[in-house]
Amino acid sequence: MDKVNVLIVEDTASESDALIKALEANNYNIVGVARTFKDALQLFHSTAADIIVIDIFLNGNPEGIAFAETINLAPNASKPFVFLTSSTDRKIFERAKLTQPFSFLMKPFNELEILYALEMAVEKFYEQQDVFLGDEEDTVISEDYLFIKKGKSLKKVYTKDIIYIEVEEKYCNVITEHEKFVILISLTKILKLLNDTVFCRTHRNFIVNTDKIEEIILADNLIILSGKHQATLSDTYKDILKRVRTLK
Amino acid sequence: MIPTDFLFSQQKVTSNLFNIEVQKKANHYKSHTNFFQSALFFIEEEWDSTLVYSAKYINTSVHDTAIQNYAHYFRGYSFKEKRMFDQAEKEFSLISPKFEFSFLVKKRLGVIALEKSEFRKAITYLEPLTKLEEGQYAYINKSSVFQNLGLCYLHIKEFKNAELYLIEYAKLQEKQKDTLKLIDAYGSIANLYYEQYKDDLAIPYFKKAYQLSTNTKNFETKELTSLNMAVVEENRKDFARALKYRKEYEKWKDSLNDQNKIYEVAQIEKEFAVKQKQQEVNLLEAENKAKIQERNSLLYSVITLIILLGVTFYFYKEKIKTNKIVLAQKERLDALNATKDKLFSIVSHDLRSSVNALKTSNSNLLDNLESKNLNALESALQSNSAIVNGAYSLLDNLLHWALLQTKQSYFQIEKVRLFFIVEQVAFNFMPLMKEKGLTFKNSVLKTEKVFADQESLKIILRNLLDNAIKFSKTEDSISIYIESSKLGYCDLIVEDSGLGMSKSKLEELLKDTSELAKKEHEDIIGTGLGLQLCKTYIAKNNGRFSIESTLGKGTKMIVSLPKTIKNG
Repeated sequence: MDKVNVLIVEDTASESDALIKALEANNYNIVGVARTFKDALQLFHSTAADIIVIDIFLNGNPEGIAFAETINLAPNASKPFVFLTSSTDRKIFERAKLTQPFSFLMKPFNELEILYALEMAVEKFYEQQDVFLGDEEDTVISEDYLFIKKGKSLKKVYTKDIIYIEVEEKYCNVITEHEKFVILISLTKILKLLNDTVFCRTHRNFIVNTDKIEEIILADNLIILSGKHQATLSDTYKDILKRVRTLK
Repeated sequence: MIPTDFLFSQQKVTSNLFNIEVQKKANHYKSHTNFFQSALFFIEEEWDSTLVYSAKYINTSVHDTAIQNYAHYFRGYSFKEKRMFDQAEKEFSLISPKFEFSFLVKKRLGVIALEKSEFRKAITYLEPLTKLEEGQYAYINKSSVFQNLGLCYLHIKEFKNAELYLIEYAKLQEKQKDTLKLIDAYGSIANLYYEQYKDDLAIPYFKKAYQLSTNTKNFETKELTSLNMAVVEENRKDFARALKYRKEYEKWKDSLNDQNKIYEVAQIEKEFAVKQKQQEVNLLEAENKAKIQERNSLLYSVITLIILLGVTFYFYKEKIKTNKIVLAQKERLDALNATKDKLFSIVSHDLRSSVNALKTSNSNLLDNLESKNLNALESALQSNSAIVNGAYSLLDNLLHWALLQTKQSYFQIEKVRLFFIVEQVAFNFMPLMKEKGLTFKNSVLKTEKVFADQESLKIILRNLLDNAIKFSKTEDSISIYIESSKLGYCDLIVEDSGLGMSKSKLEELLKDTSELAKKEHEDIIGTGLGLQLCKTYIAKNNGRFSIESTLGKGTKMIVSLPKTIKNG
């Protein structure tokens, strides 16, 4: 599991320092702090931020909103973001609200509030509400990552690293090259959200990353995956054979 | 000695009945406009128009034989009335014999023949009419048929037949008691006999006619009968009598002339009178017009006045209303201003004491720093931060109060998860509670959701929690939990086991005024601003607020928030 990358767009050093302190204390990785609109754009493209915290007012102008509008337009690159503001001015809020999905954090904020705001931003952005805030689930799935709530903070797992997923009632065991962990998510939801050109169900309880398949032993109904992992292949899901390039 | 008016008929009576029939037909065939029009003109005896419209009807392609016969009848009758007998005969001949009023047609043809002195032809038309059914005689005057027939026979010197019809005619007249016609009938019979030189038979009729005529006022009849008598007496060589009758004849003739003259004079006088009357009428009309005009102008001015009055009254009322509103607003404004002034004084007083406390604490801090008394340093710093926290929350409330008054703040009611809000708010109070030795418990469920504006809910909770901490002693406990109350509402309860308050104080707190409450616990900083802010924000979130408290035992602050969005 990796730390979640956060980009901070905030012109006041003391504010950004407090933010960095709070986030790092909760295992977030700060990839950069931008002081201006221009810096922000440059950092946005040069770093792989997962979430962006944007102060609405940069040097006295609502440039933060302009920045949010810009990254929302970026094709395939838009990311979840949180507005940071000390003013509840209605006009500013009406404009900020147009940058859907909209989540904000009022200054002064405490640690819990910033963590809550980040989780809300991720949920809203990937349209998987009530995940981190309830007890039933703890994982939001994006195209590239699983965002998993661990304690008070968020972690991420690169979906390409997943070898296979074994479902066990309400839990899912996720096995990657280096580690093995449990996430809380329903099978139907995970099937719906994972990229189905890569991930394939091979059994009632197994979802396999087809890129990691090394061998299929039809006689034993077994799939050998990289790292000597094994998954079961049941008759119902033998369609998988059509999708795997086989040597003749 | 030829009888004078041989065309005697009671057309008025009989034609009325026929007109009713025509009217019925016309109404029945209203869709045939031309027929309908011609029928109307026929009834009104506008012969030219009748001819025009009936011709139009006959010339149109669509024909209904039932009413076509009527159309021809109208035309024939109209021609007859205009004395164009040949045309009339032609039109009548076009009517089919099946026409329900064909006997009327025969009658008209007979009369036309008589007019043209074609007596034999007339007889052929008229003779069948003597044997009609009783009902049909409602449309034809029977006596005129007999009279006309009698006259026809007389003209062609068939005296026997003439006698027969004329006597029948006389009999009918005797029955109807029409003196003039009776005289005419007797005259005709007498003439009939006289022509045949049957003087003995003729004279009694002449006499009868003469006698009847003396009772009438018709000079022409009198003149005729007396002349007849004179001629008869002359022929009998009774010249004395003849002379008497002749004189009488002359007299009636003169009277007739006189009558005519008198009539003419009367006519002129009448015309004159009519003219005068007309003038009077004109004058009256003009006067009337002037009066109407006067009345109308009076009416208009009255209406205008009333409208003007109404408008004035309306504006007057409006003015009074606005005055009232302005007055009420002024009172409210004054009250608000007073509140604001009070608020200023309290806030500045509190702030001053906070800053003052900070000042003394800072000088203590410096002293301790010099003497390197580190233990005292820590406690002094802690008390400093507590003072600053108190001052900060006061300023925060002040800011939100101001924002609320100007209504500039962002306010968005959304689904809010209560657990996290409580956690976030409580997080800031953790050090304070720890210092005071209070235990805190948040037992709100993670799944609990209400509809509220997140930021204002935080302000409400912050103030309630602040109050709870303020009014708690060491070792007391504070807990926040949920109780489901009325349908659709969720009660968020902040409970402390602190000082509590009296009933009167409680009522004062809950009173719905914009006035700020007075302080009871002088040693504890508080303006009542926080609670006021809470009440206002709860109301704005469509919620309700209540407090339960027992002096010495603790307080329950209850915020009821809706679980569903109001108004859809």
